[in-house]
Amino acid sequence: MTRSTKTIGLNEAATRAAAALNERPEICLGGLFKQSRPVALVRALLATGSDGLHVYSSPGAGYDVDLMIAAGAIDEVFVPGVTLENRLCPNFRMAVESQQVKAHALDALTIVGGLMASAHGVPFQPIAALKGSDVLKHNPLITPFDCPLTGQPLYAVPPIRPRVTLLHAQEADRWGNIRHLSTMVYADQLMARASDMVIVSVDRLVDDDVVLDDPRSVTIPAHYVDAVVEVPYGAHPTASFPNYAMDEKHIDAYADLGDAARRGDGAGLAAYLEQHVTSAPDQPQYLRNIGETRLSELQAEARAL
Amino acid sequence: MSMDFSPLEQMAVVMARDLADGELGAAGAAALVPMAAIALAREMHAPNLTIGGEMFFNPVAGHLYPSMLDDRALGRCEASETFIELFGHSHHGLDFFFHSGLQIDRYGNINLHHVGGTLHAPKMRGPGAANLSYCHTSTRFYICPTVHNVRNFVDTVDFITIPGNMSGPDSKAAAGLVNEGPRLVVTPRAVMDFDPETLRIRLKSVHCGNSVQDVLDNTGFTPDVPENTGRTPPPTADELAVLRGKIDPSGALRA
Repeated sequence: MTRSTKTIGLNEAATRAAAALNERPEICLGGLFKQSRPVALVRALLATGSDGLHVYSSPGAGYDVDLMIAAGAIDEVFVPGVTLENRLCPNFRMAVESQQVKAHALDALTIVGGLMASAHGVPFQPIAALKGSDVLKHNPLITPFDCPLTGQPLYAVPPIRPRVTLLHAQEADRWGNIRHLSTMVYADQLMARASDMVIVSVDRLVDDDVVLDDPRSVTIPAHYVDAVVEVPYGAHPTASFPNYAMDEKHIDAYADLGDAARRGDGAGLAAYLEQHVTSAPDQPQYLRNIGETRLSELQAEARAL
Repeated sequence: MSMDFSPLEQMAVVMARDLADGELGAAGAAALVPMAAIALAREMHAPNLTIGGEMFFNPVAGHLYPSMLDDRALGRCEASETFIELFGHSHHGLDFFFHSGLQIDRYGNINLHHVGGTLHAPKMRGPGAANLSYCHTSTRFYICPTVHNVRNFVDTVDFITIPGNMSGPDSKAAAGLVNEGPRLVVTPRAVMDFDPETLRIRLKSVHCGNSVQDVLDNTGFTPDVPENTGRTPPPTADELAVLRGKIDPSGALRA
Protein backbone atom coordinates (compact mmCIF):
# COMPACT_ATOMS: atom_id res chain seq x y z
CA MET A 1 0.00 0.00 0.00
CA THR A 2 1.09 3.55 -0.67
CA ARG A 3 -0.19 6.70 0.89
CA SER A 4 -2.96 8.43 -1.10
CA THR A 5 -2.39 11.97 -2.26
CA LYS A 6 -5.22 14.47 -1.90
CA THR A 7 -4.57 16.53 -5.02
CA ILE A 8 -7.48 16.67 -7.45
CA GLY A 9 -8.54 18.91 -10.32
CA LEU A 10 -10.84 21.90 -10.11
CA ASN A 11 -13.75 20.23 -11.88
CA GLU A 12 -13.54 17.11 -9.74
CA ALA A 13 -13.47 19.29 -6.62
CA ALA A 14 -16.60 21.09 -7.79
CA THR A 15 -18.36 17.81 -8.57
CA ARG A 16 -17.55 16.41 -5.13
CA ALA A 17 -18.67 19.59 -3.39
CA ALA A 18 -21.90 19.77 -5.39
CA ALA A 19 -22.77 16.13 -4.59
CA ALA A 20 -22.19 16.69 -0.88
CA LEU A 21 -24.22 19.91 -0.91
CA ASN A 22 -27.11 18.05 -2.49
CA GLU A 23 -27.26 16.03 0.73
CA ARG A 24 -27.13 19.10 2.98
CA PRO A 25 -26.81 22.60 1.53
CA GLU A 26 -24.58 24.21 4.19
CA ILE A 27 -21.49 25.67 2.54
CA CYS A 28 -18.80 27.69 4.29
CA LEU A 29 -16.23 29.98 2.62
CA GLY A 30 -12.82 30.90 4.02
CA GLY A 31 -10.91 34.16 3.90
CA LEU A 32 -12.30 37.54 4.87
CA PHE A 33 -13.93 40.23 2.72
CA LYS A 34 -11.58 40.59 -0.29
CA GLN A 35 -8.77 38.43 1.01
CA SER A 36 -7.96 34.77 0.41
CA ARG A 37 -11.43 33.85 -0.77
CA PRO A 38 -11.79 30.51 -2.61
CA VAL A 39 -13.21 32.19 -5.70
CA ALA A 40 -12.04 29.67 -8.33
CA LEU A 41 -13.68 26.88 -6.34
CA VAL A 42 -16.84 28.98 -6.05
CA ARG A 43 -16.90 29.62 -9.81
CA ALA A 44 -16.41 25.92 -10.52
CA LEU A 45 -19.19 25.03 -8.08
CA LEU A 46 -21.52 27.55 -9.72
CA ALA A 47 -20.71 26.03 -13.12
CA THR A 48 -22.16 22.72 -11.87
CA GLY A 49 -25.51 24.44 -11.34
CA SER A 50 -25.44 23.86 -7.59
CA ASP A 51 -28.27 25.79 -5.92
CA GLY A 52 -30.46 26.12 -2.83
CA LEU A 53 -27.36 26.76 -0.74
CA HIS A 54 -27.13 28.12 2.79
CA VAL A 55 -23.89 30.08 2.89
CA TYR A 56 -21.69 30.67 5.92
CA SER A 57 -18.34 32.38 6.01
CA SER A 58 -15.94 34.09 8.30
CA PRO A 59 -17.99 36.97 9.68
CA GLY A 60 -17.31 39.18 6.65
CA ALA A 61 -17.86 38.34 2.98
CA GLY A 62 -18.49 40.25 -0.21
CA TYR A 63 -17.74 39.52 -3.86
CA ASP A 64 -18.05 35.72 -3.80
CA VAL A 65 -21.33 35.63 -1.88
CA ASP A 66 -22.72 38.32 -4.17
CA LEU A 67 -21.60 36.33 -7.24
CA MET A 68 -23.27 33.18 -5.89
CA ILE A 69 -26.48 35.15 -5.40
CA ALA A 70 -26.21 36.59 -8.93
CA ALA A 71 -25.91 33.02 -10.22
CA GLY A 72 -29.05 32.02 -8.30
CA ALA A 73 -27.23 29.50 -6.09
CA ILE A 74 -28.14 30.79 -2.62
CA ASP A 75 -31.39 30.57 -0.66
CA GLU A 76 -30.19 31.72 2.77
CA VAL A 77 -27.25 33.83 3.96
CA PHE A 78 -25.75 33.21 7.39
CA VAL A 79 -22.95 35.78 7.09
CA PRO A 80 -23.06 38.69 9.59
CA GLY A 81 -21.55 41.30 7.28
CA VAL A 82 -21.96 41.20 3.48
CA THR A 83 -20.28 44.15 1.82
CA LEU A 84 -17.67 45.18 -0.73
CA GLU A 85 -16.51 47.58 2.01
CA ASN A 86 -16.28 50.64 -0.28
CA ARG A 87 -19.84 49.95 -1.51
CA LEU A 88 -22.80 47.68 -0.90
CA CYS A 89 -23.11 44.25 -2.54
CA PRO A 90 -25.60 44.87 -5.38
CA ASN A 91 -26.99 41.37 -5.92
CA PHE A 92 -27.16 40.59 -2.21
CA ARG A 93 -29.10 43.78 -1.69
CA MET A 94 -31.43 43.24 -4.65
CA ALA A 95 -32.15 39.61 -3.78
CA VAL A 96 -32.92 40.37 -0.12
CA GLU A 97 -35.03 43.41 -0.96
CA SER A 98 -37.08 41.33 -3.44
CA GLN A 99 -37.28 38.51 -0.84
CA GLN A 100 -35.66 35.95 -3.14
CA VAL A 101 -32.89 35.38 -0.60
CA LYS A 102 -33.23 35.34 3.17
CA ALA A 103 -30.36 37.12 4.96
CA HIS A 104 -30.33 36.32 8.65
CA ALA A 105 -29.34 38.91 11.24
CA LEU A 106 -26.23 37.51 12.90
CA ASP A 107 -23.02 38.58 14.56
CA ALA A 108 -19.43 37.43 14.53
CA LEU A 109 -19.55 35.67 17.90
CA THR A 110 -22.52 33.51 16.90
CA ILE A 111 -20.72 32.28 13.78
CA VAL A 112 -17.31 31.90 15.42
CA GLY A 113 -18.91 30.33 18.52
CA GLY A 114 -20.89 27.86 16.41
CA LEU A 115 -17.77 26.87 14.50
CA MET A 116 -15.89 26.55 17.81
CA ALA A 117 -18.57 24.22 19.23
CA SER A 118 -18.37 22.08 16.10
CA ALA A 119 -14.56 22.05 16.03
CA HIS A 120 -14.32 21.27 19.73
CA GLY A 121 -16.99 18.57 19.74
CA VAL A 122 -19.18 20.16 22.42
CA PRO A 123 -22.98 20.60 22.20
CA PHE A 124 -22.93 24.39 22.39
CA GLN A 125 -20.72 27.41 22.93
CA PRO A 126 -21.79 29.98 25.52
CA ILE A 127 -21.64 33.64 24.48
CA ALA A 128 -21.75 36.42 27.05
CA ALA A 129 -20.91 39.52 25.02
CA LEU A 130 -24.18 40.13 23.16
CA LYS A 131 -26.28 42.99 24.48
CA GLY A 132 -28.61 45.69 23.25
CA SER A 133 -28.68 44.91 19.52
CA ASP A 134 -31.87 44.16 17.59
CA VAL A 135 -29.87 41.32 16.03
CA LEU A 136 -30.56 39.39 19.26
CA LYS A 137 -34.30 39.48 18.52
CA HIS A 138 -33.83 37.95 15.06
CA ASN A 139 -30.71 35.76 15.31
CA PRO A 140 -32.02 32.23 14.57
CA LEU A 141 -28.98 30.42 15.98
CA ILE A 142 -28.94 31.54 19.62
CA THR A 143 -30.91 30.41 22.67
CA PRO A 144 -30.87 32.42 25.91
CA PHE A 145 -30.05 30.56 29.11
CA ASP A 146 -28.76 31.34 32.60
CA CYS A 147 -25.22 30.35 33.50
CA PRO A 148 -25.47 27.30 35.81
CA LEU A 149 -22.53 28.64 37.86
CA THR A 150 -23.26 32.35 38.22
CA GLY A 151 -26.84 32.83 37.03
CA GLN A 152 -25.60 35.36 34.46
CA PRO A 153 -27.80 35.57 31.35
CA LEU A 154 -25.99 34.00 28.40
CA TYR A 155 -26.69 32.74 24.90
CA ALA A 156 -26.02 29.23 23.64
CA VAL A 157 -25.08 28.66 20.01
CA PRO A 158 -25.19 25.07 18.73
CA PRO A 159 -22.42 23.62 16.56
CA ILE A 160 -22.27 25.01 13.02
CA ARG A 161 -21.20 22.05 10.91
CA PRO A 162 -20.80 23.00 7.24
CA ARG A 163 -21.28 20.08 4.86
CA VAL A 164 -18.57 21.60 2.68
CA THR A 165 -15.97 24.22 3.46
CA LEU A 166 -14.00 25.83 0.62
CA LEU A 167 -10.74 27.57 1.53
CA HIS A 168 -7.91 29.27 -0.33
CA ALA A 169 -4.29 29.34 0.85
CA GLN A 170 -0.95 30.00 -0.77
CA GLU A 171 0.72 26.58 -0.53
CA ALA A 172 0.12 22.91 0.23
CA ASP A 173 1.89 19.61 -0.20
CA ARG A 174 0.32 16.72 -2.10
CA TRP A 175 -0.92 15.17 1.15
CA GLY A 176 -3.04 18.22 1.94
CA ASN A 177 -0.92 20.03 4.53
CA ILE A 178 -1.85 23.70 4.09
CA ARG A 179 0.45 26.71 4.47
CA HIS A 180 -1.03 30.21 4.70
CA LEU A 181 1.70 32.74 3.94
CA SER A 182 -0.65 35.72 4.35
CA THR A 183 -0.52 37.85 7.50
CA MET A 184 -3.89 36.69 8.84
CA VAL A 185 -5.44 33.23 8.68
CA TYR A 186 -8.97 34.52 9.44
CA ALA A 187 -11.25 31.65 10.61
CA ASP A 188 -9.85 29.16 8.10
CA GLN A 189 -8.33 26.82 10.70
CA LEU A 190 -11.54 26.80 12.72
CA MET A 191 -13.68 26.07 9.67
CA ALA A 192 -11.41 23.21 8.64
CA ARG A 193 -11.91 21.60 12.06
CA ALA A 194 -15.66 22.28 12.10
CA SER A 195 -16.69 20.89 8.71
CA ASP A 196 -17.61 17.55 7.15
CA MET A 197 -15.71 18.10 3.90
CA VAL A 198 -12.83 20.52 3.41
CA ILE A 199 -11.52 21.44 -0.05
CA VAL A 200 -8.62 23.87 -0.31
CA SER A 201 -7.33 25.69 -3.38
CA VAL A 202 -3.70 26.81 -3.28
CA ASP A 203 -1.70 29.01 -5.61
CA ARG A 204 0.96 26.31 -5.82
CA LEU A 205 1.88 22.86 -4.58
CA VAL A 206 5.25 22.50 -2.85
CA ASP A 207 7.58 19.57 -2.27
CA ASP A 208 7.16 17.41 0.83
CA ASP A 209 10.44 18.79 2.20
CA VAL A 210 9.05 22.34 2.36
CA VAL A 211 6.52 21.11 4.91
CA LEU A 212 8.86 18.74 6.74
CA ASP A 213 11.54 21.42 7.11
CA ASP A 214 9.12 23.83 8.83
CA PRO A 215 6.13 21.98 10.32
CA ARG A 216 5.10 24.94 12.48
CA SER A 217 4.30 26.87 9.32
CA VAL A 218 1.55 24.39 8.44
CA THR A 219 -1.64 26.25 9.31
CA ILE A 220 -4.04 23.34 8.61
CA PRO A 221 -2.72 19.78 8.94
CA ALA A 222 -3.74 17.36 6.20
CA HIS A 223 -5.78 15.43 8.77
CA TYR A 224 -8.52 18.05 8.42
CA VAL A 225 -8.33 18.35 4.63
CA ASP A 226 -10.21 16.15 2.14
CA ALA A 227 -8.82 17.53 -1.09
CA VAL A 228 -6.36 20.12 -2.31
CA VAL A 229 -6.47 21.76 -5.73
CA GLU A 230 -3.57 23.67 -7.28
CA VAL A 231 -5.14 26.74 -8.87
CA PRO A 232 -2.84 29.60 -9.86
CA TYR A 233 -4.58 32.88 -8.97
CA GLY A 234 -7.31 30.79 -7.35
CA ALA A 235 -8.43 33.71 -5.14
CA HIS A 236 -8.71 36.27 -7.97
CA PRO A 237 -10.26 38.87 -7.88
CA THR A 238 -9.62 38.72 -4.13
CA ALA A 239 -6.09 38.85 -2.74
CA SER A 240 -3.67 36.06 -1.94
CA PHE A 241 -0.72 37.58 -0.15
CA PRO A 242 2.16 37.60 -0.70
CA ASN A 243 1.42 36.34 -4.22
CA TYR A 244 -1.04 38.91 -5.60
CA ALA A 245 -3.13 41.87 -4.44
CA MET A 246 -6.89 42.21 -4.66
CA ASP A 247 -8.21 43.31 -8.06
CA GLU A 248 -10.30 46.26 -6.95
CA LYS A 249 -10.92 47.40 -10.54
CA HIS A 250 -12.41 44.02 -11.43
CA ILE A 251 -14.63 43.95 -8.35
CA ASP A 252 -15.74 47.55 -8.93
CA ALA A 253 -16.59 46.80 -12.57
CA TYR A 254 -18.56 43.74 -11.42
CA ALA A 255 -20.41 45.85 -8.84
CA ASP A 256 -21.27 48.44 -11.53
CA LEU A 257 -22.85 45.64 -13.59
CA GLY A 258 -24.72 44.46 -10.50
CA ASP A 259 -26.01 47.95 -9.79
CA ALA A 260 -27.14 48.27 -13.41
CA ALA A 261 -29.01 44.96 -13.04
CA ARG A 262 -30.60 46.28 -9.85
CA ARG A 263 -31.91 49.24 -11.86
CA GLY A 264 -33.33 46.95 -14.54
CA ASP A 265 -30.49 46.49 -17.04
CA GLY A 266 -29.23 42.96 -16.47
CA ALA A 267 -27.45 42.44 -19.80
CA GLY A 268 -23.97 43.30 -18.55
CA LEU A 269 -24.25 41.13 -15.47
CA ALA A 270 -25.56 38.22 -17.57
CA ALA A 271 -22.59 38.59 -19.92
CA TYR A 272 -20.20 38.69 -16.96
CA LEU A 273 -21.66 35.47 -15.56
CA GLU A 274 -21.49 33.86 -18.99
CA GLN A 275 -17.86 34.86 -19.50
CA HIS A 276 -16.46 34.20 -16.03
CA VAL A 277 -18.68 31.49 -14.59
CA THR A 278 -20.73 29.52 -17.08
CA SER A 279 -18.38 29.29 -20.04
CA ALA A 280 -15.01 29.58 -18.24
CA PRO A 281 -15.00 26.79 -15.70
CA ASP A 282 -11.31 26.05 -16.14
CA GLN A 283 -8.76 28.37 -14.63
CA PRO A 284 -6.46 28.80 -17.66
CA GLN A 285 -9.37 30.17 -19.72
CA TYR A 286 -10.47 32.38 -16.82
CA LEU A 287 -6.96 33.79 -16.52
CA ARG A 288 -6.78 34.41 -20.27
CA ASN A 289 -9.98 36.41 -19.93
CA ILE A 290 -8.51 38.48 -17.10
CA GLY A 291 -5.30 39.01 -19.06
CA GLU A 292 -1.61 38.51 -18.41
CA THR A 293 -0.95 42.24 -17.98
CA ARG A 294 -3.48 42.66 -15.21
CA LEU A 295 -2.30 39.57 -13.37
CA SER A 296 1.30 40.80 -13.53
CA GLU A 297 0.25 44.13 -12.04
CA LEU A 298 -1.48 42.41 -9.12
CA GLN A 299 1.55 40.22 -8.55
CA ALA A 300 3.89 43.20 -8.68
CA GLU A 301 1.76 45.15 -6.20
CA ALA A 302 1.86 42.30 -3.67
CA ARG A 303 5.57 41.70 -4.14
CA ALA A 304 6.40 45.39 -3.75
CA LEU A 305 5.06 45.54 -0.18
CA MET B 1 -13.37 80.18 4.31
CA SER B 2 -10.39 78.39 2.88
CA MET B 3 -9.00 75.43 4.73
CA ASP B 4 -5.56 73.98 4.47
CA PHE B 5 -6.73 70.64 5.78
CA SER B 6 -9.56 68.30 4.81
CA PRO B 7 -12.66 67.37 6.84
CA LEU B 8 -11.35 63.80 7.17
CA GLU B 9 -8.01 65.09 8.48
CA GLN B 10 -9.93 67.16 11.03
CA MET B 11 -11.87 64.05 12.08
CA ALA B 12 -8.69 61.99 12.49
CA VAL B 13 -7.07 64.71 14.60
CA VAL B 14 -10.10 65.08 16.91
CA MET B 15 -10.21 61.36 17.62
CA ALA B 16 -6.43 60.98 17.93
CA ARG B 17 -6.40 63.56 20.72
CA ASP B 18 -8.94 61.51 22.69
CA LEU B 19 -6.88 58.27 22.66
CA ALA B 20 -4.51 57.74 25.60
CA ASP B 21 -1.07 56.24 25.94
CA GLY B 22 -1.14 52.60 27.01
CA GLU B 23 -4.61 51.86 25.68
CA LEU B 24 -5.67 48.87 23.53
CA GLY B 25 -8.02 49.43 20.64
CA ALA B 26 -8.97 48.71 17.05
CA ALA B 27 -10.30 50.64 14.08
CA GLY B 28 -13.38 48.59 13.08
CA ALA B 29 -14.72 48.27 9.53
CA ALA B 30 -14.45 51.20 7.08
CA ALA B 31 -11.31 52.04 8.97
CA LEU B 32 -9.64 54.78 6.95
CA VAL B 33 -10.21 57.66 9.38
CA PRO B 34 -10.04 55.58 12.60
CA MET B 35 -6.73 54.02 11.59
CA ALA B 36 -5.35 57.45 10.78
CA ALA B 37 -6.47 58.63 14.24
CA ILE B 38 -4.85 55.69 16.00
CA ALA B 39 -1.61 56.01 14.06
CA LEU B 40 -1.50 59.76 14.74
CA ALA B 41 -2.03 59.21 18.47
CA ARG B 42 0.82 56.69 18.51
CA GLU B 43 3.12 59.17 16.78
CA MET B 44 2.13 62.22 18.82
CA HIS B 45 1.40 61.33 22.47
CA ALA B 46 0.58 57.62 22.82
CA PRO B 47 3.60 55.55 21.75
CA ASN B 48 2.49 52.70 24.04
CA LEU B 49 -0.99 52.49 22.56
CA THR B 50 -1.49 48.94 21.23
CA ILE B 51 -3.48 48.32 18.06
CA GLY B 52 -5.08 44.92 18.61
CA GLY B 53 -8.33 43.01 18.78
CA GLU B 54 -8.91 42.55 15.05
CA MET B 55 -6.46 39.74 14.34
CA PHE B 56 -3.32 41.88 14.02
CA PHE B 57 -1.07 43.85 16.35
CA ASN B 58 0.58 47.20 15.62
CA PRO B 59 0.70 47.46 11.84
CA VAL B 60 3.47 49.82 10.75
CA ALA B 61 2.06 53.16 9.61
CA GLY B 62 2.91 54.19 6.09
CA HIS B 63 -0.14 53.99 3.83
CA LEU B 64 -3.88 54.13 4.49
CA TYR B 65 -6.33 51.80 2.75
CA PRO B 66 -10.15 51.96 2.71
CA SER B 67 -10.23 48.70 4.65
CA MET B 68 -7.43 48.05 7.07
CA LEU B 69 -8.29 44.32 6.99
CA ASP B 70 -6.06 44.17 3.95
CA ASP B 71 -2.65 42.56 3.73
CA ARG B 72 -1.41 45.63 1.88
CA ALA B 73 -2.00 47.46 5.15
CA LEU B 74 -0.98 44.63 7.48
CA GLY B 75 1.93 43.10 5.66
CA ARG B 76 4.20 44.80 8.15
CA CYS B 77 2.74 44.27 11.60
CA GLU B 78 4.08 42.77 14.80
CA ALA B 79 1.85 39.71 15.05
CA SER B 80 -1.36 38.23 13.73
CA GLU B 81 -4.21 36.33 15.38
CA THR B 82 -7.36 34.54 14.22
CA PHE B 83 -11.08 34.67 14.91
CA ILE B 84 -10.54 32.39 17.91
CA GLU B 85 -8.59 35.13 19.68
CA LEU B 86 -11.10 37.69 18.41
CA PHE B 87 -13.81 35.74 20.26
CA GLY B 88 -11.83 36.33 23.46
CA HIS B 89 -11.08 39.99 22.79
CA SER B 90 -14.79 40.54 22.11
CA HIS B 91 -15.64 39.28 25.58
CA HIS B 92 -12.76 40.98 27.40
CA GLY B 93 -13.32 44.25 25.55
CA LEU B 94 -10.90 46.90 24.34
CA ASP B 95 -10.36 50.44 25.52
CA PHE B 96 -11.77 51.95 22.35
CA PHE B 97 -13.43 51.02 19.05
CA PHE B 98 -15.00 52.89 16.12
CA HIS B 99 -18.32 52.54 14.30
CA SER B 100 -20.23 54.12 11.45
CA GLY B 101 -23.60 53.28 9.91
CA LEU B 102 -26.41 53.85 7.44
CA GLN B 103 -28.38 55.62 10.18
CA ILE B 104 -27.31 57.14 13.50
CA ASP B 105 -29.99 58.36 15.89
CA ARG B 106 -30.16 60.97 18.64
CA TYR B 107 -29.09 58.43 21.27
CA GLY B 108 -26.12 57.20 19.25
CA ASN B 109 -27.70 53.92 18.18
CA ILE B 110 -26.43 52.72 14.81
CA ASN B 111 -28.27 50.90 12.01
CA LEU B 112 -26.43 48.83 9.42
CA HIS B 113 -29.22 46.35 8.58
CA HIS B 114 -32.13 47.94 6.76
CA VAL B 115 -33.81 51.26 5.99
CA GLY B 116 -37.57 51.00 5.61
CA GLY B 117 -39.63 47.81 5.58
CA THR B 118 -38.66 44.95 7.86
CA LEU B 119 -35.55 42.83 8.26
CA HIS B 120 -36.79 40.14 5.89
CA ALA B 121 -38.72 42.50 3.60
CA PRO B 122 -36.49 45.58 3.61
CA LYS B 123 -36.91 48.60 1.41
CA MET B 124 -33.13 48.95 1.44
CA ARG B 125 -30.84 46.22 2.81
CA GLY B 126 -27.53 47.29 4.27
CA PRO B 127 -24.42 45.23 4.91
CA GLY B 128 -25.13 44.16 8.49
CA ALA B 129 -22.15 44.12 10.82
CA ALA B 130 -19.70 41.52 12.01
CA ASN B 131 -18.79 42.60 15.52
CA LEU B 132 -21.60 43.73 17.81
CA SER B 133 -19.66 43.26 21.03
CA TYR B 134 -16.91 45.86 21.15
CA CYS B 135 -19.47 48.68 21.35
CA HIS B 136 -20.45 47.55 24.85
CA THR B 137 -17.58 45.37 26.12
CA SER B 138 -15.06 48.14 25.34
CA THR B 139 -14.61 51.12 27.62
CA ARG B 140 -16.01 53.43 24.95
CA PHE B 141 -16.47 53.86 21.21
CA TYR B 142 -16.47 56.65 18.65
CA ILE B 143 -19.05 57.18 15.91
CA CYS B 144 -17.37 58.59 12.82
CA PRO B 145 -19.41 58.61 9.59
CA THR B 146 -17.73 60.27 6.63
CA VAL B 147 -20.96 62.02 5.65
CA HIS B 148 -23.28 64.10 7.80
CA ASN B 149 -26.76 64.77 6.42
CA VAL B 150 -30.44 64.35 7.23
CA ARG B 151 -30.46 60.87 5.75
CA ASN B 152 -27.84 59.33 8.05
CA PHE B 153 -28.60 61.39 11.18
CA VAL B 154 -32.17 60.42 12.02
CA ASP B 155 -34.41 60.75 15.06
CA THR B 156 -34.82 56.99 15.53
CA VAL B 157 -33.03 54.20 13.68
CA ASP B 158 -35.10 51.59 11.86
CA PHE B 159 -33.02 48.79 13.38
CA ILE B 160 -30.46 48.85 16.21
CA THR B 161 -27.41 47.03 14.87
CA ILE B 162 -24.93 48.67 17.25
CA PRO B 163 -26.51 49.85 20.50
CA GLY B 164 -25.51 53.31 21.66
CA ASN B 165 -27.52 54.71 24.57
CA MET B 166 -30.75 52.88 23.58
CA SER B 167 -33.54 55.36 24.48
CA GLY B 168 -31.84 56.83 27.53
CA PRO B 169 -30.33 55.84 30.90
CA ASP B 170 -33.09 53.42 32.00
CA SER B 171 -33.23 51.41 28.79
CA LYS B 172 -29.45 51.41 28.52
CA ALA B 173 -29.17 49.92 32.01
CA ALA B 174 -32.00 47.46 31.32
CA ALA B 175 -30.12 46.18 28.24
CA GLY B 176 -27.10 45.48 30.42
CA LEU B 177 -24.94 48.13 28.77
CA VAL B 178 -22.69 49.05 31.68
CA ASN B 179 -19.84 50.84 29.90
CA GLU B 180 -19.69 54.39 28.58
CA GLY B 181 -20.78 53.42 25.06
CA PRO B 182 -20.52 56.18 22.45
CA ARG B 183 -18.29 59.03 23.64
CA LEU B 184 -18.04 61.29 20.62
CA VAL B 185 -19.74 61.56 17.25
CA VAL B 186 -17.15 62.98 14.89
CA THR B 187 -18.34 63.91 11.40
CA PRO B 188 -17.01 66.00 8.51
CA ARG B 189 -18.99 68.93 9.92
CA ALA B 190 -18.83 68.80 13.70
CA VAL B 191 -18.05 67.04 16.96
CA MET B 192 -20.98 65.97 19.09
CA ASP B 193 -21.07 64.34 22.51
CA PHE B 194 -23.81 63.09 24.83
CA ASP B 195 -25.69 64.92 27.58
CA PRO B 196 -24.79 62.99 30.75
CA GLU B 197 -28.37 63.23 32.07
CA THR B 198 -30.41 62.30 28.99
CA LEU B 199 -27.67 60.46 27.03
CA ARG B 200 -28.84 62.35 23.93
CA ILE B 201 -26.53 63.76 21.29
CA ARG B 202 -25.61 67.41 21.74
CA LEU B 203 -23.37 69.66 19.69
CA LYS B 204 -19.87 70.12 21.07
CA SER B 205 -17.95 71.99 18.39
CA VAL B 206 -18.25 72.92 14.73
CA HIS B 207 -15.43 72.42 12.23
CA CYS B 208 -13.87 75.20 10.20
CA GLY B 209 -16.05 75.94 7.16
CA ASN B 210 -19.36 75.07 8.89
CA SER B 211 -21.78 77.10 11.01
CA VAL B 212 -23.99 75.78 13.79
CA GLN B 213 -26.90 76.33 11.44
CA ASP B 214 -25.20 74.23 8.72
CA VAL B 215 -24.91 71.37 11.18
CA LEU B 216 -28.53 71.69 12.33
CA ASP B 217 -29.74 71.88 8.72
CA ASN B 218 -27.96 68.62 7.99
CA THR B 219 -29.10 66.70 11.05
CA GLY B 220 -32.42 64.86 10.99
CA PHE B 221 -33.19 65.72 14.61
CA THR B 222 -32.55 68.81 16.69
CA PRO B 223 -29.60 68.26 18.99
CA ASP B 224 -29.10 70.46 22.02
CA VAL B 225 -26.71 73.30 21.30
CA PRO B 226 -25.02 74.20 24.61
CA GLU B 227 -23.92 77.79 25.13
CA ASN B 228 -20.27 76.78 25.15
CA THR B 229 -20.44 75.19 21.67
CA GLY B 230 -17.36 76.47 19.87
CA ARG B 231 -15.07 75.89 16.95
CA THR B 232 -13.30 72.56 16.69
CA PRO B 233 -9.60 73.20 17.33
CA PRO B 234 -8.06 72.70 13.88
CA PRO B 235 -5.12 70.38 13.27
CA THR B 236 -1.82 71.84 14.43
CA ALA B 237 1.08 72.16 12.04
CA ASP B 238 2.80 69.28 13.87
CA GLU B 239 -0.25 67.03 13.61
CA LEU B 240 -0.64 67.72 9.90
CA ALA B 241 3.06 67.17 9.25
CA VAL B 242 2.99 63.75 10.93
CA LEU B 243 -0.33 62.80 9.34
CA ARG B 244 0.83 63.66 5.82
CA GLY B 245 4.45 62.69 6.20
CA LYS B 246 4.27 59.38 8.02
CA ILE B 247 0.70 58.09 7.97
CA ASP B 248 -1.06 59.23 4.82
CA PRO B 249 1.58 60.22 2.26
CA SER B 250 -0.74 59.25 -0.62
CA GLY B 251 -3.41 61.68 0.60
CA ALA B 252 -6.30 59.25 1.10
CA LEU B 253 -7.77 61.60 3.69
CA ARG B 254 -7.67 64.47 1.18
CA ALA B 255 -9.13 62.55 -1.79
